[in-house]
Amino acid sequence: MTTHVVRVDRVTKRFSGHTAVRNFSLDVPTGGMFGLLGPNGAGKSTTIRMIMNIITPDEGKIHLFGGTKSGRDHSSRIGYLPEERGLYKKMKVKEQLAFFGETKGIPHKDAVRKTGEWLERLGLSDWTDKKVEDLSKGMQQKVQFIGTLLHEPELVILDEPFSGLDPVNAQVMKDVVLEIARSGRTVLFSTHIMEQAEKMCDRIAIIARGEKVVDGTLSEIKREFGHRFVALAYHRNAEAAGRVLQDRKLVAKVDDYGNSAEVELAAGAESDALLHALVEAGVGLNRFEVVEPSLQSIFIAKVGADAAKAVASGDSR
Amino acid sequence: MNKVWAVIRREFIERVRTKAFLLSTLLFPVFIGAMMVLPALLLTKTSGVKRVAVLDGTSVDFGARVNNALLAVKRGSGGDASAQYEPTLVVTGGERMEAVRDSLIAGIGLAGETGPSLNGVLILTDEGLASGRLQYFGDNAGSISAMQELEGTVRPLVTRQRLEREGVDPMVVMRAIGPVSLATQRVAEGKLTGQSGGATFAIAYAMGFILYMALLIYGIQVMTSIVEEKSNRIMEVLASSMSPFQMLLGKILGVGSVAFLQLGIWAGAAYAATTYRVQLLGLFGVDAAASSGVSSMIPSIPGSLLVVFLAFFVLGFLLYSAMFAAVGSMCNTVQETQQAQFPVMFLIILGLMTMFALLNDPNSPLVMTLSYVPFWTPFVIPIRYSMAPIPIMGLLVSAVITILGMLAIVWVASRIYRVGILSYGKRASLRDLWRWVRTA
Repeated sequence: MTTHVVRVDRVTKRFSGHTAVRNFSLDVPTGGMFGLLGPNGAGKSTTIRMIMNIITPDEGKIHLFGGTKSGRDHSSRIGYLPEERGLYKKMKVKEQLAFFGETKGIPHKDAVRKTGEWLERLGLSDWTDKKVEDLSKGMQQKVQFIGTLLHEPELVILDEPFSGLDPVNAQVMKDVVLEIARSGRTVLFSTHIMEQAEKMCDRIAIIARGEKVVDGTLSEIKREFGHRFVALAYHRNAEAAGRVLQDRKLVAKVDDYGNSAEVELAAGAESDALLHALVEAGVGLNRFEVVEPSLQSIFIAKVGADAAKAVASGDSR
Repeated sequence: MNKVWAVIRREFIERVRTKAFLLSTLLFPVFIGAMMVLPALLLTKTSGVKRVAVLDGTSVDFGARVNNALLAVKRGSGGDASAQYEPTLVVTGGERMEAVRDSLIAGIGLAGETGPSLNGVLILTDEGLASGRLQYFGDNAGSISAMQELEGTVRPLVTRQRLEREGVDPMVVMRAIGPVSLATQRVAEGKLTGQSGGATFAIAYAMGFILYMALLIYGIQVMTSIVEEKSNRIMEVLASSMSPFQMLLGKILGVGSVAFLQLGIWAGAAYAATTYRVQLLGLFGVDAAASSGVSSMIPSIPGSLLVVFLAFFVLGFLLYSAMFAAVGSMCNTVQETQQAQFPVMFLIILGLMTMFALLNDPNSPLVMTLSYVPFWTPFVIPIRYSMAPIPIMGLLVSAVITILGMLAIVWVASRIYRVGILSYGKRASLRDLWRWVRTA
């Protein structure tokens, strides 16, 4: 129970007429990187806002840190970057961040000190005393990002954190986020860019039209989805290889070309097991390449091309 | 509570730092000083020595009297006193009158061989004395105060002359028409307060007006800054770390403390200007006595009245800023607020009108009733207190009712605020508001 930092339990939220999120459940384990994926308008932000207790669900419950207290009560342990970024334009960067820190419950002095450290780290030291409105969009994003992380939260919730960032800044922020995940803290972020999630996340959940389509670790999802292929080539003992490939527990389908083969793995089978079996049988391998379906193709297969279109073309910014 | 404190501090520091705050805070004392010094300054500077020719065409030698009277007019007092006029008596009569008059008028404003130029010519004739219409030609004829002064000097002489002609002893008449005045003294709880009725009126008026201005200036600041936070989308960041009530409380107290600072500085400046009026005038080379016509602007305020005023001022400020906050939270742009704020403005203006009704009759039943309605108590009670005594029980009942009403209104406002700050798009209708208030 307590190993789940966020539990969303059969939650439904309706807005005048339409249902934004329907009977949605989600378990985010402590530590690591969790991706909440879906096209625009799928209900990602609504879910996140319900987790933060900014809006309340019509049905269902949300548990944070294993208890029933709301996101606001835990605000000192959570860092939240909303989809719509917001800063006081007339305030100085330093004071703005110190204020954010204070609203999370850190004493004024500590907040000021941490602000300095973070600005240094993200290369904004020269802008400490500038007003927010004098900063570029990218720098403002960084400031907002610091505001989210200043109080060293155990749980970091980022709503579309990389949208609207240039590659350099995106890289900087990605590194920071990865470091948080590696240090045993939890990062939950939403994105509509599948490739990004595929590269960064340990676990993902895909949401479309307010409902959960699939969730689990990346390898689980791919294994369950099937359609995983292995390309093989051997220089020795091809007959032994042929025998191994007959095993229906491992292999669903084989295209045998004599010294090479294309194999579709059986549902639930691990590619490691196949490799092990081949080596055991004394097959001399030239090539063993696992070709997994991309998250994008799984997504399209699960949700349908219509819903996926929003992913391809629907970047709202 | 620390979070509320952080919001208060942010609001306070960010506001006090703005140029607008600095300017308005400093300009007002300058304005008070100017109000004090300028009239006195003008009074002295405009009255250089006036050279006036008194052209006497009367058969009763009236010119000599006027001449003497003008010589006697002094400006300033004590040792510094100097003559106001430098009259020249020209006696003529009959046909020559017009020619002499024209030649004198021709000399106005021109320095000739005979000396410095004339400022004006006062023409006295028998017909003028009879009809009461005398003529004056001069370069200072446009100055209303100078003409009033001259008229004031000549008028009693004409009256006297007419009385003598009718054979009445002027002294008898003077005694008969001696002024009658009503010296007013305010009585509170059976004791003399040492204040005149007029001073009380001024205090009451000023108090109501200060409340009105503060509500307009700072209430609207609360409202617009909430709209800005909404359009900046900063609301969501704040809403994830503190409750809407904490945000609302911090905002109102933050803006309120700025209001108190500014009003405090202004009150201090006004007090200092009144207390050190003589020195202040001296700085500009104005003799204090010469400006005795400029009465001191701020009558002394008794301590208990000040306490009552401050208490109800704070209550009123909290009440109305909560309402302004609710209005701000339901709008998306500052333009939208201009319509939406109407009901709140209406209540405030009604409060001000109540104040005027009150100044007419502090004990009318209408006013009595209004002093128990939370919207208007902050306007009514301090003024009622300043004009006619309110027993301590009455004060307490009013205060308790106001506080209860205020809490109820603040509660409703914060319910609206709570939902409003995170709703974008169409402005909320009355039905929406009612739903917002009810939702858990």
